[in-house]
Amino acid sequence: MTIPIAADLNETALAIFAIVVGVTLVVTYLASKRMTGAVQFYAAGRAITGPQNGFAIAGDYMSAASFLGIAGLIFLFGFDGFLYSVGFLVAFLTVLFLLSERMRNSGKFTIADVLSFRMNERPARAAAALGTLSVAGFYLIAQMVGAGVLIEALVGIDFNLAVILTGAFMLIYVVFGGMLATTWVQIIKAILLMSATIVLTLFVLGEVGWNPVDLFNEAKAKSPEGDAYLKPGLFLASPIDTVSLGIGLVLGTAGLPHILMRFFTVPNAKAARSSVMWAVVLIGGFYVMTTALGFGARAVLGEAGVEAAGTGGNLAAPLLAEELGGGAGTFGGDLFLAVIAAVAFATILAVVAGLVLSASAAMSHDVWSNIVRHGRDSEREEVLVARIAALSIGAVAIFIAVLGGAGLNVSFMVGLAFAVAASANFPALLLSLTWRRFNTTGAVTGVIVGTVSSILLVIISPTVWPGPDSEGGAFGFYDLANPGIVSVPLGFLGCWLGTMLSKEERRAERSFDELYVRSETGLGAEAGTGIGLTGRPAGRAPASAM
Amino acid sequence: MPGEEKGVPEPQSVTAGPEHHPEIDWIAAERSPEFRELIKKRRSFVLPATIFFLLWYFGFIILAGYAEDFMGESIYEGFTVGYLLALTQFIMVWGLGWLYLRRADRSFDPLARKAAETAVEAGRKSGAEAQAPGRFERQADAGTGREVQPS
Repeated sequence: MTIPIAADLNETALAIFAIVVGVTLVVTYLASKRMTGAVQFYAAGRAITGPQNGFAIAGDYMSAASFLGIAGLIFLFGFDGFLYSVGFLVAFLTVLFLLSERMRNSGKFTIADVLSFRMNERPARAAAALGTLSVAGFYLIAQMVGAGVLIEALVGIDFNLAVILTGAFMLIYVVFGGMLATTWVQIIKAILLMSATIVLTLFVLGEVGWNPVDLFNEAKAKSPEGDAYLKPGLFLASPIDTVSLGIGLVLGTAGLPHILMRFFTVPNAKAARSSVMWAVVLIGGFYVMTTALGFGARAVLGEAGVEAAGTGGNLAAPLLAEELGGGAGTFGGDLFLAVIAAVAFATILAVVAGLVLSASAAMSHDVWSNIVRHGRDSEREEVLVARIAALSIGAVAIFIAVLGGAGLNVSFMVGLAFAVAASANFPALLLSLTWRRFNTTGAVTGVIVGTVSSILLVIISPTVWPGPDSEGGAFGFYDLANPGIVSVPLGFLGCWLGTMLSKEERRAERSFDELYVRSETGLGAEAGTGIGLTGRPAGRAPASAM
Repeated sequence: MPGEEKGVPEPQSVTAGPEHHPEIDWIAAERSPEFRELIKKRRSFVLPATIFFLLWYFGFIILAGYAEDFMGESIYEGFTVGYLLALTQFIMVWGLGWLYLRRADRSFDPLARKAAETAVEAGRKSGAEAQAPGRFERQADAGTGREVQPS
């Protein structure tokens, strides 16, 4: 996709990029000075406060798909785009009620710590690592390709170079600064993203005379769809697919390894739950404003903006910013566009850093330290392996993104990540914490069934096969674009069948009591021991009350 | 300084102590009245709240899927039913989140502390004769050869 603004290098945007990157590199340097070992590398010494973690969760969660993608979908299809916003937010109630505190109380660094707690350690950890690596891998590649496409369009840097640059910064944060640097990159990104969105929203509201209801009418008037623009059904034509999407969104978030990993960075369960509250205030506020961005783009740019906004309307928000700043070619317009481009870049960096960190933790802590070395390795070795794993995962992701190029189906990858998270990680994790009879065979079967069914169903979905966005599926009887309504029950069924068909595992049932008491009371939970970015000892990090 | 050994000194307190608690009889702790009280209280909030938010959310999604015209009806000068219902989802998340946090601070946390104290106290009394094997004994007898490591 070529648009006029991509014709040559946008120097203003490059300058703002440089400032953002400069600040994050300083943060990484400070964090690297405080690197003391595994707890610091994976969990920032558990010294992140509740509010800080809330901002970091928001920064970790709101990808470019949220910022540019949802604004674009609302711009193109009206109401249906907003369904994504609602689902992405409601998902946090699942996290808050079922997982956040229990993860903090009973885990150390990875999902596998909780999943394998009362299981036969090696197979359970291998299954959990499979779930984590699939989700993080698919999501990472999607974000890298998205980064390349966006930066090429907004700044004029070549796709391949943009992917490599994004990957390089991501690896610098993770390898040198670990979780502490990643956290602060995410906090900075969340602040930038919220500020930019608030400013754009105020400008949009100003355009319609500060009356939000007029925004709807103006947007509707500018859409050739008329009344249908404010109704569901323009994007998600099949009702059952809409429900399936809802299931995937609401349960998928509770299985995203890079989000769950954030709960290991706070000192206690109280901080974990308050961080979710901070996150939903930020994320909810942001998603309400996606309406202003999407409908605002429709009202301001009109139908003429559709072509310029490119595939999926991804460039609707940047074009809106340019127009609100004064239009293409004006100083204000260039500045606004440059700022939004930089915010989008920061957005992607924060998400990919979180993803690569969670994937490297699964490789080093689960696969290497516990499965290969039976826990006999030193802490120094584990952290070294984590860094090597991050480098390798990052290199593979860059390679696939460059090889696949801009044409790689990004929505397919993101859909796959959420489907595996909801169908493999979430059922196994929830059942290991709540079902006494659940055992190793059940966990392994559930994760494999959930992962394989998600991948198969996404491959045969009409958006992927026989061709991109083809009419009807490859098979007449199955035409869902979102697999959740089938794959999530399959994941649970896999857990249940595997458990019931295998012999009772007395150890798993007996240690259920231990996991249950630990996860509910925080008895024996890992304490905060690390050092904050400012050098303040973590022990005194206040368990923030919200 | 980089720690060579796994395990870092941790402050001694009931809820933030070292992970390894060989003295605790987890089965007894799970059956203690204090723990049952915590579970009852937490469940009496979390279960209805979860059912409510799932119903409210999927009710909305099903309406969006199957009742397009209803969702598109204007209730105030072009502001639609669908959008209003979508906004109630945001209010619901913030409201339920706030309620849960308040309940957790006032009710669940003190109960959890009490249940933990009871378990530690019982463990201390029975001393070294702790009956139930904890997590680490389990791993050792699982024959994985994994050494018992604090943290």
